[in-house]
Amino acid sequence: MEFFIQFLIAAVGMGTPLLFATLGGVIGERAGVINLGMEGLMLVGALVAFVVMLNTGNYFYAVAAAAIASGIVSMIHGVVCLMLRASQIASGLALTFFGTGLSGFFGDKLTGATVEPLIRIPIPGLNAIPVLGPVLFNQDILVYFSYFCVVLLWWMLFKTRLGLNIRSMGESPEVCDSLGLSVLGYRFFAVVGGGMMIGIGGAYFPLALTPFWVDGITAGRGWIAVALVIFAFWDPIKALGGAYLFGIALALELRLQILGVDISPYFLKMIPYVLTILVLTLVTIRHNRLGIQVMPAALGNVFFRGEKN
Amino acid sequence: MRFFLEKRVNTSSWGRVLVLSVAFLLVLFISWFFFLAAGIEPITAFQIVGEEIFLTKYGWQDLLVKMTPLMFTGLAVALAAQMRQWNIGAEGQFHIGTVAMTWFALHYDGKLPDGMLIVMLLIMAMIGGGLWGCIPGFLKARFGVNEIITSLLFNYIAAAWVDHLLFGAWRDPGTNNFPITKEFSEAAQLPLYGNTSIHAGLILAFIVVVIIAWVLWKTRLGFQIRLIGDNPDAARYAGVKIRTLTILVFAASGAIAGLAGFSEVAGIHYRLQQNISIGYGYTGIIVAWLARNHPLGVVLSAFFMSIVFVSAEVLQIEYGLPISVVYLYQGIILFTVLGSEIFTEYRLRITSIWLKQRLTKTGN
Repeated sequence: MEFFIQFLIAAVGMGTPLLFATLGGVIGERAGVINLGMEGLMLVGALVAFVVMLNTGNYFYAVAAAAIASGIVSMIHGVVCLMLRASQIASGLALTFFGTGLSGFFGDKLTGATVEPLIRIPIPGLNAIPVLGPVLFNQDILVYFSYFCVVLLWWMLFKTRLGLNIRSMGESPEVCDSLGLSVLGYRFFAVVGGGMMIGIGGAYFPLALTPFWVDGITAGRGWIAVALVIFAFWDPIKALGGAYLFGIALALELRLQILGVDISPYFLKMIPYVLTILVLTLVTIRHNRLGIQVMPAALGNVFFRGEKN
Repeated sequence: MRFFLEKRVNTSSWGRVLVLSVAFLLVLFISWFFFLAAGIEPITAFQIVGEEIFLTKYGWQDLLVKMTPLMFTGLAVALAAQMRQWNIGAEGQFHIGTVAMTWFALHYDGKLPDGMLIVMLLIMAMIGGGLWGCIPGFLKARFGVNEIITSLLFNYIAAAWVDHLLFGAWRDPGTNNFPITKEFSEAAQLPLYGNTSIHAGLILAFIVVVIIAWVLWKTRLGFQIRLIGDNPDAARYAGVKIRTLTILVFAASGAIAGLAGFSEVAGIHYRLQQNISIGYGYTGIIVAWLARNHPLGVVLSAFFMSIVFVSAEVLQIEYGLPISVVYLYQGIILFTVLGSEIFTEYRLRITSIWLKQRLTKTGN
């Protein structure tokens, strides 16, 4: 039982960066902008958080700096694919290259440096609940912040006018434009806001999961998050479930290694990627069968006033 | 004063050359700041890189050697892109190609007649890469699964698989536990050009370029592929078997990426080891994009990206910069090209209300 609880605690930890990144992706894609640069943005967030942490020792500064840096880098994506009307897919890939290069370039001299990882703060009362208590309410502050972000984002997207406008941008920018809403403004806001969330997800790696710097610290999780956005039906609440499911898969990899299961560690490493492909396939099949159109209708479309798409 | 963009009726190729040149200058300008950030004197750095690449024999050799895999992976991405499919799994297909050929070489090296082995290795690499490319293609064709995500994730699986083999069954016990296989015999090696490191893979790459260009523009199959890319609805209406072709194109694309693996192993390393691909598969995306998915353009853009790779190598040797500077450059190049493409398709118009009022007044 103790082992199982430890396992779930690790799963929540592993799922948290995915959760932040997925939430960031949800904001952007709800507004109609695909962000394939998540991997790069997470790496930028991770690098900046690590550097700031190393120099100031302040977690708040580290997370804030990661968010700001990723926000700034995602502005490039915004400018290129929204203002200069380039392909969102190509621009997202460029973002991944850029972020990977940036973190490799400036992180090169940091390899091996360590920071103090975030400590767990139990929430009195709630952490006494059996199983769920220690798993969900004996975590570090960023995990709590991720809960808050899920609720905030859900409320923002589905209960406020701002959210309605953002979602409309993803469904029919032409209509929004004719209503006098700034498509560019809302989309840009969503891209940058989403980018900041993704950056916080990246910051979680050096601040909590692996408190030392390795090149390519995010190990492809950004791409898993790209798939999770689809898996979560572009819904923050479902993103929570999806992120933890993958957290379980990632934690399983580590636990099985510790238990000494006789499988090549390299095969265990494949689990999360295989699972992502499997889940993505199943979700797509289900969408096809039910004929549901959850995907924002104008996702990936280049909008330009006065031009028919 | 108002700015607005007006769609150009026809895009001139000179405009494109101009835009690409401006983008190139922009890249140099941006790298200026990165050099400064890394504490390097930019002008000296440019000078050293330029001299090392273009004024030495070794530089030219290296350019052509690095260009070879980029031509293959660029072609792989471009072929899929001709029918609007993103194959960003060339990196993984490259790796599985090397795995398949290494498997064959480890089992049959020395047991086949002369000349037979190298041909079989080539075929095995194509089969390996092709099968690996097939999976995302099949998932896309049969279920409509987003091929961008699946083809990319297969890269991570392929990399883990290579590690599994290199740290396990295939490790050569004679080499101090390094994760490398036994060296292949001479029958499994591509001939070199004279006294250089340029190998026959380059010729193979040019042959594949010609074949793909021929298929795309001179055959019915190629017409159908391009038709799907231009207008899938029209293709469906015309009775083109989109699903079958999607799988086929992904398989072909994977096979070409597998050839990149073949040419690297049989032309340079003569064994399977780690880091055979230093991101060649990913760079294929940029090569294809710069070439606008045209096979002949791939030759030029592969050469261009090869300059980036060799520059990064020079910077690594001269200044100890990490090799990931390649990715940084690739990102910057793709961003600048993407950002400047708008000017080949649109024309910037500036109107001023003041001017308009004056014109209407004089009209009165």
